[in-house]
Amino acid sequence: MSTYNEFEEEQYGKLNAHIFGRLVALLKPHWKYAVGFLLCISMVSAIDSYTTFLSKRIIDEGIIAGSREAIVQTIILYGSVILLQALGAFGFIYLVGILAERVRYDLRKKMFNHLQKLSLSYFSETPVGWIMSRLTSDTERLSDLMTWGILDITWAVINISTAGIFMFIINPNLAVIVFIMLPILIIVAIQFRTRILYHYRRSRKMNSKITGAFNEGISGVRVIKALSREDSNLGEFAVLTEGMYDASFRAAWLSALFLPTVQVISAFGLGIVLWRGGMQVQIGNMTIGGIQAFVSYITFIMWPIQDIARVYAQMQNAVASAERIFGLIDTEPSVKNRLITVETENIEGDIRFENVHFYYEEDDPVIKNLNFEVKHGDMVALVGPTGGGKSTIVNLLCRFYEPTQGTIYINDVDYQDMKLEDIQSRIGVVLQTPHLFSGSIRDNIRYGRLTATDEEIEEAAKLAGAHDFIMKFEKGYDQDVGEGGNLLSVGQKQLISIARALLAEPELFIMDEATSSVDTLTEALIQQGMDRLMEGRTSFVIAHRLSTIKRADKILVIEDGQIAEMGTHRELILKKGKYYKLYTQQFRQELEAQYDVLNQPEPAQAN
Amino acid sequence: MLVPDKNYYDLNLKETVSDNHLLGLWRLMKGYHWLYLGAAALLAVATLARTGIALVIRRFVDDVILAGNYGSTLTMIIVIFIGLAFIQGIFTFLSGWLTSKTAESVTRRLRNFLFDHLQRLPYAYHAESQTGDLISRATSDVDAVNRFFSEQAIGIGRILLLFIVNFAAILQLNTRLALYSVIAIPAIIGVSIYFFSKVSKAYEKYQEQEASLSSRLQENLTGIRVVKAFARQGHEQYKFDQENWEKFKLGKKLLSIHSLFWPVSDIICGIQMLSSFFIGALFALNGEISVGTYLAFTSMVILIIWPIRGLGRLIVQTSTGMVSYSRVAELLKQEREPLTTGDYKPEGSVEGEIIFKNVYFAYEKDNPVLEDINFVCKPGEVIALLGSTGSGKTSLVNLLPRFYDPTGGVITLDGVDITRYPRKYLRSQIGIVEQEPFLFSRSIRENITYGVHREVSDDEVIQAAKFAAIHEVIETFPIGYDTMVGERGVTLSGGQKQRVAIARALLKNPRILILDDSTSSVDTETEAQIRTALEHLMQNRTTFIIAHRIQSVMDADLILVFDKGKIVQKGKHSELMKASGMYREIYDIQTRIEVELEKEIASVNI
Repeated sequence: MSTYNEFEEEQYGKLNAHIFGRLVALLKPHWKYAVGFLLCISMVSAIDSYTTFLSKRIIDEGIIAGSREAIVQTIILYGSVILLQALGAFGFIYLVGILAERVRYDLRKKMFNHLQKLSLSYFSETPVGWIMSRLTSDTERLSDLMTWGILDITWAVINISTAGIFMFIINPNLAVIVFIMLPILIIVAIQFRTRILYHYRRSRKMNSKITGAFNEGISGVRVIKALSREDSNLGEFAVLTEGMYDASFRAAWLSALFLPTVQVISAFGLGIVLWRGGMQVQIGNMTIGGIQAFVSYITFIMWPIQDIARVYAQMQNAVASAERIFGLIDTEPSVKNRLITVETENIEGDIRFENVHFYYEEDDPVIKNLNFEVKHGDMVALVGPTGGGKSTIVNLLCRFYEPTQGTIYINDVDYQDMKLEDIQSRIGVVLQTPHLFSGSIRDNIRYGRLTATDEEIEEAAKLAGAHDFIMKFEKGYDQDVGEGGNLLSVGQKQLISIARALLAEPELFIMDEATSSVDTLTEALIQQGMDRLMEGRTSFVIAHRLSTIKRADKILVIEDGQIAEMGTHRELILKKGKYYKLYTQQFRQELEAQYDVLNQPEPAQAN
Repeated sequence: MLVPDKNYYDLNLKETVSDNHLLGLWRLMKGYHWLYLGAAALLAVATLARTGIALVIRRFVDDVILAGNYGSTLTMIIVIFIGLAFIQGIFTFLSGWLTSKTAESVTRRLRNFLFDHLQRLPYAYHAESQTGDLISRATSDVDAVNRFFSEQAIGIGRILLLFIVNFAAILQLNTRLALYSVIAIPAIIGVSIYFFSKVSKAYEKYQEQEASLSSRLQENLTGIRVVKAFARQGHEQYKFDQENWEKFKLGKKLLSIHSLFWPVSDIICGIQMLSSFFIGALFALNGEISVGTYLAFTSMVILIIWPIRGLGRLIVQTSTGMVSYSRVAELLKQEREPLTTGDYKPEGSVEGEIIFKNVYFAYEKDNPVLEDINFVCKPGEVIALLGSTGSGKTSLVNLLPRFYDPTGGVITLDGVDITRYPRKYLRSQIGIVEQEPFLFSRSIRENITYGVHREVSDDEVIQAAKFAAIHEVIETFPIGYDTMVGERGVTLSGGQKQRVAIARALLKNPRILILDDSTSSVDTETEAQIRTALEHLMQNRTTFIIAHRIQSVMDADLILVFDKGKIVQKGKHSELMKASGMYREIYDIQTRIEVELEKEIASVNI
């Protein structure tokens, strides 16, 4: 996942009015939180400056003036503003924190919901890792800028300006020195921060490469040992760690240099303040407390400056994140309902492909001029070499893709005139490598029909032949299937996905048979389950098993995106063409597997 | 030289491991001890300078302003002031520089060592370990160790220094004042430790939720076809929203803890600071301390109190750093397999005569996998291993490159016990082509030349690829041999991967070959191509074939039929055909299949 980040890390975005408008719109529904935290932080920041001013009063009006009363009064005032400030701190942390979480929540929700609407083609073109980065790191970065970033900037700006006002009140002449220093400090700080961030990003990129290298070094250890690659691998790895060292060391020492530099620059300002201020005490234009206040203000001015620089450096990246996020949200689904759609009661009926073409890129057709018709209730077997276009035909049928040319008719209606939901909710699909969702077996079967009762689920599992093996689990239907179902065998997963499809009571059934071998018993169960599913339904099967193929009412041999041969088993065998070849090869393989004393010590028990 | 030479690593880190975590971490820094101590010393100087500045301000007020003594004293004080600020700045920077130099160098050495360590641990260790666990030890745990050096240890040192130096300075100024100003310190430390341990728990939960949110998302994306097929978008949105909302709630909880701690600790620190100010001001009023002393005192109090708040965080983080160290140390402690030890290393290649004498093998005691294996294989012969899954075929070939060693008996190569060959030499003589070979996420060219330790010309690579019947496939990719394999390039099918591995083995040109001939999941044309490629590869090499089908063993010079870890039949095809037994049974099936196929075809014609 992290590998996709590395191409983007270096991207910088420019903040323009359009993006700014959309960013503000993110905060709009929660404007009360935003206003609240801005008020709180402004108060906290102003109080920060004010307390320094109070310290001055303790010195001048208390100690120097010799007034115990003034000291007590000022301390009490000081104490009260600290309490007020604590209240403000509570307020802003709570408000901005919740706002940040909320903005993240909103962004993720918006993106996820939009993703559900996008067409399958989007997902085959976009790596999962890329999408994940949008919902994780980009979301994080953007929401941080919009909340904590704004908070930091507000704090810094108010802090500097209130400090400026107090300095101006204490001594306008000296205050000028600070205002001359300020832009220098800010420019220096931004230079530092941008560089630090750059090296920091670089080190993160190296880090993900290092993780990748470890991953390969460990998963490929057998090959590495067999080929004695240890030394060269270490040499290559050392290049990575060298890069990592370089980047993180630079980032670290630049950070270490940053604050001292700011401090040293301010020290010159302080020197001038002490010198000029000291002189002015003589003529009564300055007080000791006043000098002390200046010293504090200038000493602590590095913090707001650091914040401004940091937020500024992060902003460019965050805007780039925003562009990517908005880009995702703005993506139009390529398959969607037409403006005027036909009401569809059902999709039971004849299916007709008429001059259907399909391509991703114009000069590279995937499906070429497909013509065939299927009677309602028929079973169609799609056979042929991998990559020939069988899966694409199925995807077209499900309307995951739409023909780039030609028409698919269901019941003589162009299926693009129908509502997507009407088609897809009536199709049952069993994939070659069945995808299960983490959760219990029950949840996974229920996915076929969310309103199904436990009895109905069991019924479906029994029909699919899955009930027996499910009951062998300690927790039965509540057994956890693991992430992606990986606690179950392929055969078991397939049985469950058949049960899932059965529960959905589809009007059209599509199956991609597994090529990987499952044990004979499971194989027989799967066949049975398929039979149940195909009863009375039009079905399309990407078939690998002879028993399935032979049973088909129509066999399509698909090669290079075209129908190479079409007919029944009998017709095609007699033709002695491509199908004949495929069939005899498959026949040998299957029987070998079936009879193989090597791997199947007990003979098959298929019924 | 101040900085040790940066070889890949210059220290056997295995020897630094200690059960005492702090000692172990200290030893891990070997070669950088002075650098790190230097960082601490420089930090002490910087801290002293910082406190010095406060004391200069004291002089400035008392000796210049209040004494009305401008002129040279003022100039001198300002020069000292700026000088101290410079010292503070430079030493702070140098200390940071040394700290990061140490931390990053030590981490780099550790990373290099661990990487090499992992690839040199015995195969048996890898077979028993989880990849994910090893990776997390080598990456995130190492990062945690890095943070211990770069942030935690030095951070704790910084806070302690600030405390000690400033407290000592205040003590000098006025003992009673000094004692008054640290009363609340234990409370601050206590509250912050309590808080940060709570926060780290809440944060862990928040992170876990982040992980489960991610996996929910990933599941949705990888299963998007199922989602669409069942039109379950609404349901998915609902499920995602649950996780999403849960994360929001946990974040809110985490935030609530933060929003309580900071104000509360603000108030405690504020009270401590204010009461110090108050007492100090009274002292100054009574003339017990000078105005300058008061000023110096207030700035030092600030330096003592506020940083202490961060101590809790560092202490809590250090304890997680220790856990990470122990996980890394566990890995460091493992014994490597020596690659170059061995007293017999012939010039050039071996002949390839292999003899198994009474070989026994077991992964666990009492559960033998191979029993009493005896056979002789002459150079250039083809040995076929036939038997069901788990009968011991793979275990046997694993003994040849010494991925495992026999528990009994001897294997000889050219008459010499294979344990006498250095592993590296032995493995250089053996080529392995597996059923689903592991390819690296590099270019196809790099994958083909992966096992060759010399410069390889393009012609050689193409030649090998042609022999392996993969050249044409590669040529169909826009950038040909430079195409990356895996996530960032092409996904090769099982058969294509196998042919790349064959090309790889061809280039390596070993004397001994181990083949897994399974071709069940490819179509006829591909199967024929792979078969031709294999024939090219097997020429003039001693070859062990793990056979899954009878066709691939018929031409073998020696067929070993395995059952439950034992050789039950042994001989040439012609010999085994004469005897009754497993081999004959398997063979007969083939004939039966052909008969049935004919029947099947004929049945259609009726």
